[in-house]
Amino acid sequence: MRDTPLSNCERLFLLQAIQEKKRLDGRQTYDYRNIKILFGTDYGCCIVELGKTRVLCQVSCELVPPKDSRPTEGILYFNLELSPMASPAFESNRQSELLVMLNRQLERCLRNSKCIDTESLCVISGEKVWQIRVDVHVLNHDGNLMDAASIAAISALSHFRRPDVAIQGREVTVFSPEERDPIPLSIYHMPICVSFAFFLQGSYLLVDPCEREERVKDGLLVIAMNKHREICSIQSSGGIMLLKDQVKPVEMLLLVEGEHENHSSERIKPFPVLLCFSSFVLMQRKEGGKFGFAESLPIERITALKRDEAPVEMADVKDTAEEIINRTESSTEVYPPGLKTRERSAASPVLVATGTAQVGEGIVNSWGLEEDEDDEVIIEDKGGGTYNHNCICK
Amino acid sequence: MAVEMRLPAALKHICVKTSKSHREEKHLVVPGDVITSDTGFMRGHGTYMDEDRLTASVAGEVERVNKLICVKPLKTRYNGEVGDVVVGRITEVQQKRWKVETNSRLDSLLLLSSVNLPGGELRRRSTQDELAMRDYLQEGDLISAEVQSIFSDGALSLHTRSLKYGKLGQGVLVSVSPSLVKRQKTHFHNLTCGASVILGNNGLIWISPTATREEEEGGGGFHTSLEPVSLSDREVVSRLRNCLLALATHKVSLYDTSLLYCYESSLSHQIKDLMKPEVMEEIVLATRQRLVEHEG
Repeated sequence: MRDTPLSNCERLFLLQAIQEKKRLDGRQTYDYRNIKILFGTDYGCCIVELGKTRVLCQVSCELVPPKDSRPTEGILYFNLELSPMASPAFESNRQSELLVMLNRQLERCLRNSKCIDTESLCVISGEKVWQIRVDVHVLNHDGNLMDAASIAAISALSHFRRPDVAIQGREVTVFSPEERDPIPLSIYHMPICVSFAFFLQGSYLLVDPCEREERVKDGLLVIAMNKHREICSIQSSGGIMLLKDQVKPVEMLLLVEGEHENHSSERIKPFPVLLCFSSFVLMQRKEGGKFGFAESLPIERITALKRDEAPVEMADVKDTAEEIINRTESSTEVYPPGLKTRERSAASPVLVATGTAQVGEGIVNSWGLEEDEDDEVIIEDKGGGTYNHNCICK
Repeated sequence: MAVEMRLPAALKHICVKTSKSHREEKHLVVPGDVITSDTGFMRGHGTYMDEDRLTASVAGEVERVNKLICVKPLKTRYNGEVGDVVVGRITEVQQKRWKVETNSRLDSLLLLSSVNLPGGELRRRSTQDELAMRDYLQEGDLISAEVQSIFSDGALSLHTRSLKYGKLGQGVLVSVSPSLVKRQKTHFHNLTCGASVILGNNGLIWISPTATREEEEGGGGFHTSLEPVSLSDREVVSRLRNCLLALATHKVSLYDTSLLYCYESSLSHQIKDLMKPEVMEEIVLATRQRLVEHEG
């Protein structure tokens, strides 16, 4: 089923907000959303939450014969799936362009960068090697699937442990986790993708676009980098042409704080987060404490209405509101009769209504007071639900 | 700055008593409910046979026409009928037609031959017209149209061959469930409060300020006025929109009378208060009572 198309006014609103350097959730241009990484009970299972985008990754291994061209290397297999629960636009078994793009980028980022040592995955040269299979499932789509998927994949790979093997001649014994401790994969570096969305023919760019911003973007630039300032891959899609001096600031952005004068010292958050997270979780496991997805859920706390804090510019709200009101004509609103006794200032952005407790406004107390009966009754109170016990009776 | 506090209170469920001459109790079912064990009936949409018993597969009202039993679902995608008025958004401009999104299972089609040419001429559409399609309707535009026919796969074919249909200008779009919009003789209403409403059968409702001048002849919705709308008109439109949402939340059938009554009941509240649940319930209650009195 196709997604409902974006209306023109929404599109214009988003583009205008971007021109004024404002984002829907109050972030700055180079801000990332909050990243949460949760590990499961199995080795190699992790969920990454990038704002509301959720991605699950599971790593598994199997002994298989190696490829003919590379008999001494293990095999890495990546598979990314867009689950229909992520978005109404995703259909199962539908080969869409987005799916192909995500798969290719994930492979390029992790396989071509040689971040995993495949030689160590060899058991018997030419006969048996480990095949590491990385399955990424997208659980919720709120923009920037690429980053979330790459973080999930590399976290799961660092978390994963493969069974220990013993070779005697041509006999291979695979030990279960109870017999011998499983061995981690040897990972040289951790490449992570960072996405930049371009708007209005490349004149504005945003880091970590959310789903709405992605819908109005002109082009996307994905750069995979690691801690050692090495670029593992660059991919540009969307057909916009970027000049070299547009790409350069973007690269500078990924470097350590304060070096380039044009951009603020925004260090990309994933790097420090990842390194300490996986080691933290392993420590937990060793201490015999509880671990897994269930433990990551906050218990005995109501989180249904919890939202992340969004910083909102409040300094000039009152002035802007007054300006808007002064500009427009006087309103033709009909006010309830009870308000006649109170003074109402037309310039104030705060409109006083019946039945509400106005705290701190210094208005005459109206609780429990009987106002003058009005003969033109608009609504008859049928004795049904009275929701404010202190409302003015008409 | 003043802070508004609302005390929570238990919501009392109030039934509006309908007159005796009203039709009998509706037979409501949920998926899995057995409708009848009698094998003499033919099964229609929304039902299936489960071991000789006719069972409902959707949640809705059971309709019986002689020997045919079907279940009309409460919440569904729009199923088009010939002659319905719909409000839709253009998603694609193709060779000789536009694809329109109308909240149905498949995108509807608006063929080039089904629209009025500017100036009202009657002639065969040429390649010139094909190339000028984008000047008339682009992706993202809203239109009002009528269902001309239904293709074999279920997609609707629309037409705007009347002056009242065409591209929509300035206004507010409200999306509700299609089952709430009552089928009536006319779906274009000019309300006395100063706004016009198009109640699309597909659940998309368009509220706009009433055009004071008559449309240019032959325009047929071709030109949309982009003059700024006055504040009083905007307030009327906003109030109507909030009333519509209140009625839709309480599953009241939407037609011009119910909307007007709801508007009148809401005049004692400020527009922004109409979004509070208790105020919504209050005005919907008043509306329903007036509607019952009106019928009785």
